[in-house]
Amino acid sequence: MRFQDAARDARAVVYAGVQADPLVARMAVLLADATPGQRVLARAVMNGETSEPGPWRTMFPALFGDAARRAADGFLERSEAILSASLEVAGRGEQVRSQFRGAIVEALTERLLARRVSPDAIRRERRILFDGIPAEIHPYDVTVESAGAAEAYDCKWGARGISADVLHQLDDARAHAEAEGRRLLPVLVVFDARRSCEVRLARHTAPRTGTRLVTIETLDRLAGRRSPVSA
Amino acid sequence: MAAIGRLVARAEAVDDEWLYIHDLETVWLARLRAVAADAAVDAAPDGASAAASGELSGGELEAAIERLVAEADAVSDPHRAIDWLSTLPQATLVALGAGAW
Repeated sequence: MRFQDAARDARAVVYAGVQADPLVARMAVLLADATPGQRVLARAVMNGETSEPGPWRTMFPALFGDAARRAADGFLERSEAILSASLEVAGRGEQVRSQFRGAIVEALTERLLARRVSPDAIRRERRILFDGIPAEIHPYDVTVESAGAAEAYDCKWGARGISADVLHQLDDARAHAEAEGRRLLPVLVVFDARRSCEVRLARHTAPRTGTRLVTIETLDRLAGRRSPVSA
Repeated sequence: MAAIGRLVARAEAVDDEWLYIHDLETVWLARLRAVAADAAVDAAPDGASAAASGELSGGELEAAIERLVAEADAVSDPHRAIDWLSTLPQATLVALGAGAW
């Protein structure tokens, strides 16, 4: 098993520009320390129609109302910063916001992983090659490449992005690694509720028992800790 | 719950996702009904919901739900409606202070 940079085709070059946009990094920094409720706010705003902040504050009183003002230092400020950045993403237009949302989930995954493993071991857009096995076309969004144990992450904005192809690619990588006597943990990261992901997965027959699912409620597990229970 | 029904009607334009759309509708409506039943049991004497651990006022909750429904109703694109079939219940449960979405 070995890792390789993905080919830089035209799509990859365009997408690399999105990934490098400062707004993506800003959003990832904010979401890395966000509560699950604040992450749902980001998801709603980046999926939403309303471009003014006021109505969103009304929709999420636990994040902006009196309770938020009484919360720990910085809670309300973080809610405001997430709202502002999310509105910027939503304001980029339908096509662009879709690319941004995917890039944000990837950047967030990378940032959370860096709290558990050495940043040097974390790579983006990598293919995994196995002896005698044709390489997959699509690279993995994020990989952890460390001696003894490797991890491969596929990042999705929503549960609807879960497909049989994705599940097969992740499980195939795990099985091929195992055949070489190596350990590879495949992980599906979805910025959506587990309930919606389970609904999506229930209709698929593709193998997934060896694939770990991380959802919007449990993103902090990427960093090796449990999610906070507060809003 | 009626807003979810309206999202379903819009999302059904995406033929390939018919089963997923109705599966989402089924599980999220069940979750919202369960939360509503719990809230009814815990309701305070003045009628305000005891959800949100008592930290939010009834007025804040009512305004939040009303505005969330308006946001969902503003979604016209069927693909975005599918996204909102998952987003609306999550946001509603965050507003209510309910866990385990």
